[in-house]
Amino acid sequence: MIVTKNWLNEWIDLSSISTQQLLKTFNAIGLEVDRHEVICAPAGVVVGFVESCEKHPDADKLNVCQVNVGSDVRQIVCGASNVRAGIYVAVATVGAELPGGLIIKEAVLRGMDSHGMICSSKEIGLPSMGEGIMILDASIGELVNGKNLNEYAAFNDDIIEIELTANRGDCLSIYGIARDLCAAFNKELREISKSVEPEGRLGIGRILQLQHAETYDVELLYGAVDIKGLSVPFLVALRMAILEQNYTNIMDTILKYATHSTGVILRAYPFDVLEDTGNGKSIISLANDSNGYAVLNGKIPLSVVGVSQNDEARFSLSEGLAIIEASYIPPEIIAKKMGEIKVLSCPHYYHTSRGSEPSLNQGVKYAMKLFETYTTSTIYGGHLELQSPRETRVVTMNEEEFESFIGMKIDKTTLTQILKNLGMLISKPKTSAFAISIPNFRHDIVNKQDIVEEIVRIVGIDNIPSKPLVFAEKNQITSDLNTYKKIRMYRHRSAQSGFFESVHFVFNERSVCERFGFVCTDEDKELLNPITATFDTLRPTLMVGLLNSASANGKVNQKKIALFESGMIFDAQRNESKRIAFLISGAREGEKISNAGKSPTVDLSWFAQKISDVVGSFNMTPHVPDHTLAHPYICAKVMLNGQVAGELFRLHPSIEEEFDLAPTFMCELEMDVLPYGLVEAQPFSKYQASFRDLSLLIPKTLAYETIKNVIAKHASADVKRFYPVDRYESDSLGENVSLSIRFMLQSMDKTLEEEEITTAMEWILTGLREELGVNLR
Amino acid sequence: MITLQEWINAIKSADTIDKIEEIRIAVFGKKGIMNAEFARMKDIPDAEKGTFAKELNIHKETLNALLTDRKLFLAMEHLSATMKAEAVDVSLASPLSERGSLHPVMETMDRIVEYFTAMDFAVHTGPMVEDDFHNFEALNLPKYHPARDMQDTFYFKDAKLLRTHTSPVQIRTMLSTKPPIRMIAPGSVFRRDYDITHTPMFHQVEGLVVEEEGKVSFANLKFILEDFLKTMFGEVEVRFRPSFFPFTEPSAEVDISCIFCAGEGCRVCSKTGWLEVLGCGIVDPNVFKAVGYENVSGYAFGLGVERFAMLIHRIGDLRSLFEGDVRLLEQFR
Repeated sequence: MIVTKNWLNEWIDLSSISTQQLLKTFNAIGLEVDRHEVICAPAGVVVGFVESCEKHPDADKLNVCQVNVGSDVRQIVCGASNVRAGIYVAVATVGAELPGGLIIKEAVLRGMDSHGMICSSKEIGLPSMGEGIMILDASIGELVNGKNLNEYAAFNDDIIEIELTANRGDCLSIYGIARDLCAAFNKELREISKSVEPEGRLGIGRILQLQHAETYDVELLYGAVDIKGLSVPFLVALRMAILEQNYTNIMDTILKYATHSTGVILRAYPFDVLEDTGNGKSIISLANDSNGYAVLNGKIPLSVVGVSQNDEARFSLSEGLAIIEASYIPPEIIAKKMGEIKVLSCPHYYHTSRGSEPSLNQGVKYAMKLFETYTTSTIYGGHLELQSPRETRVVTMNEEEFESFIGMKIDKTTLTQILKNLGMLISKPKTSAFAISIPNFRHDIVNKQDIVEEIVRIVGIDNIPSKPLVFAEKNQITSDLNTYKKIRMYRHRSAQSGFFESVHFVFNERSVCERFGFVCTDEDKELLNPITATFDTLRPTLMVGLLNSASANGKVNQKKIALFESGMIFDAQRNESKRIAFLISGAREGEKISNAGKSPTVDLSWFAQKISDVVGSFNMTPHVPDHTLAHPYICAKVMLNGQVAGELFRLHPSIEEEFDLAPTFMCELEMDVLPYGLVEAQPFSKYQASFRDLSLLIPKTLAYETIKNVIAKHASADVKRFYPVDRYESDSLGENVSLSIRFMLQSMDKTLEEEEITTAMEWILTGLREELGVNLR
Repeated sequence: MITLQEWINAIKSADTIDKIEEIRIAVFGKKGIMNAEFARMKDIPDAEKGTFAKELNIHKETLNALLTDRKLFLAMEHLSATMKAEAVDVSLASPLSERGSLHPVMETMDRIVEYFTAMDFAVHTGPMVEDDFHNFEALNLPKYHPARDMQDTFYFKDAKLLRTHTSPVQIRTMLSTKPPIRMIAPGSVFRRDYDITHTPMFHQVEGLVVEEEGKVSFANLKFILEDFLKTMFGEVEVRFRPSFFPFTEPSAEVDISCIFCAGEGCRVCSKTGWLEVLGCGIVDPNVFKAVGYENVSGYAFGLGVERFAMLIHRIGDLRSLFEGDVRLLEQFR
């Protein structure tokens, strides 16, 4: 919503209020200032009257004008196509400095002297008003040749753009904002000067009749005017330029201006399109049809109240009898209707859906005054009106309620004054109860808290004290908090282990995910309105996001890429589950002296080590994944405390190639499976531990997992731990390899005897021999 | 025959521990001169024996002390030489951290959660896929409400939607528990907007306090938010501007004095000197009605975590937060 200080001045006297104070007040009362711009015509730009205008003898596009600037008549060469004799113009006199630094000097243009410049709006720093020079008229005030333009209010103004909240339809006009400012400044509204209707006017009733079968939630008011000499006054054109509104139709321009000024929705119909009922009279009727409340002439629709106007029923001439219609429909009714039927709407709809001004008479009067002042039109007397019986909303509350909501006591007189200034009527203010009648333009006020809000914004939130709330103690440790803390712990550990935390949108590209073999959201539950084709489904995995980021990092020559993300993924039924995923691509570490500038590349055991730094020790078992991201022979199931926690793998070489990545390892784990909570300590032996190594000759194809299971089966209770320590491959061993396994033996009760150790090792070896045919090397 | 003085000189000039050892054997060894001298005792007349033995013992002590000293000295010298040989250029060995980092948005979220849990707020979370009731209807946003324009929503084919704020978590909490409530709901939220200053997903922390009727006032809301913003941003000025949200009434937007120009006016604050950081208000009675609460009062607030993170860490580009770019992330380790 754009206002100017002078425009506001039509309704509120702002002469004693500085622009800074005005801006501050706007913000304080909830009308957020989005932009403030000063317009001021430069000194030395004056009103001039073009006395004559001749073609330049030597230049087709130039005119030589004699311009009266009060003190004298000057010759000015002008290139604008709309310059002509008999118009008032803005003249930048010699010495004037225009915005952009142009200083006007005496000039000779193709042999003709030029003592100044006739200006367009843009040349003196105003918004563009179209091609050519400005043609001034008395709408800005009495035109006096030689008078500095900036002495006219229209050329010395503040443009203020306000970001209105959706509830404040009442402030979608200059009048509405002035009304709110009156409450803030405790001032009276200026009513538009009442022009006394001249005697002997033709009454509107002679030409128009209003019909309606039932009562509706709609209000209409009609006036009539016989238009002559319609043109857009300069002030209107300038202000419309400030609003950045372009209209080609003169009537539309003037009515739009009147709507912006008063907030009343106005339309004009040409009388001659209306059907004559025989006696020179036409009938307008209102009907509730499928599109909303239709304004009809016979069966022909003229407009839909608050929504649109029929093109054929638009007044587009500069002469002729026009019916001016003001309308009001409560925003909640029109918004609901439009939500249901979705018909094409005109720009007024934004306004009506947020609440246009219900004082229709004021809108029509304002428009009529424009016609009266700036055209030679004849206005018809009286008006026709359709009113809907609306109940006045009344909110009752007492003084204490104000205090409990606000947290500060505000005296009754102040409360009463503020409410009155806001147009509310208060009955029985002498008792503690306030019965507050809400004015019909404040459709947003329905309950006590709405009233409190009005008090708060006028009093100013800055003037309300800050007070800590006193509350009763309560244990606030929720299961959600524990989950949050668990995830936070794993995030911290991940960062500590060398991974950078990344955050991705929960959106993936469905075709990409499906190509990798992931199951996406079921078709009948899929996103209806994705923002881009690359974000058209919910992610079934964190890995695609990590992969994309890794690829982007690779493209900017990042050699070591270690990322993790903790977040939600979605299954086909859109069930959410918490995951944490890791990726390392390329170098293990930075280039440095210790690695002679060449970091080793990440490999399986190094990557697994990094993951175990985060989640603790885990077992990896051979795994064939459901998706195609993984290298088929370097892929493991991650087993944590006997549960499947997720998978860990090298990226498939063809995907590494596709994404332009160095060797890359990934791992995705289910957060719910990861351990969290208190550790229960186990008793430990205080006796000496013994270590024994077994070097086994095993077939290359035999997985350690298998050997491990056999050993575990045959190990005595004293075998505390065993782990592979060396793997040796050589031609002499053929299809076999040598695998050394170290055993730690320890008893809870004593130091083990050599004999006991030998026996325990023998059991294991026998087991291996019998079950797997494996022998010592 | 080498004189005593010559032995002394030999020890003093010995330059290796090996040489000292040689001398020790030559002097004190089985076949060394000391034994040979003592063997001469039997040939010494009795009267001179005492003097001879005494002198010999003195010489023995002298040589022994000299040997020990010299050996220690040489050992020290050897150690220094060895250490000198081990010298490294420590400046070459300055390490570069190989640690990772937390994402600035998540770390900021952690700080926010930390503040509110310290103020005895409970943490609640809820689903991202929501329904109209929890996301809109119960929050006083009936269908066709003009304020729904503010929420560009992602819908699913079965009329579910991605939550546009974390407020539905508050509705769920109110529906499942009884007042009093002090809670925050941190989490991802979604709006159908993607440009230089908007991303389709971002993070919010929203708070809610519900107590018995007449207990919670706007003054309480002012206190906690002022304190919170000063905790997050340091000594800033805090300004409340009346605003409008369908679920609160009265509502306010909260600004802090610009942390870049200290309120002078700069590019970041659009020359206003203020930065908008929060929305808040007194809970609208219609919200309480929707969850069946009676005779209660409360306040609510909500903030965008990305906005906080960008201001606190001076990050200029919103979208860079979602690109996993190591060049940004490594700065936070």
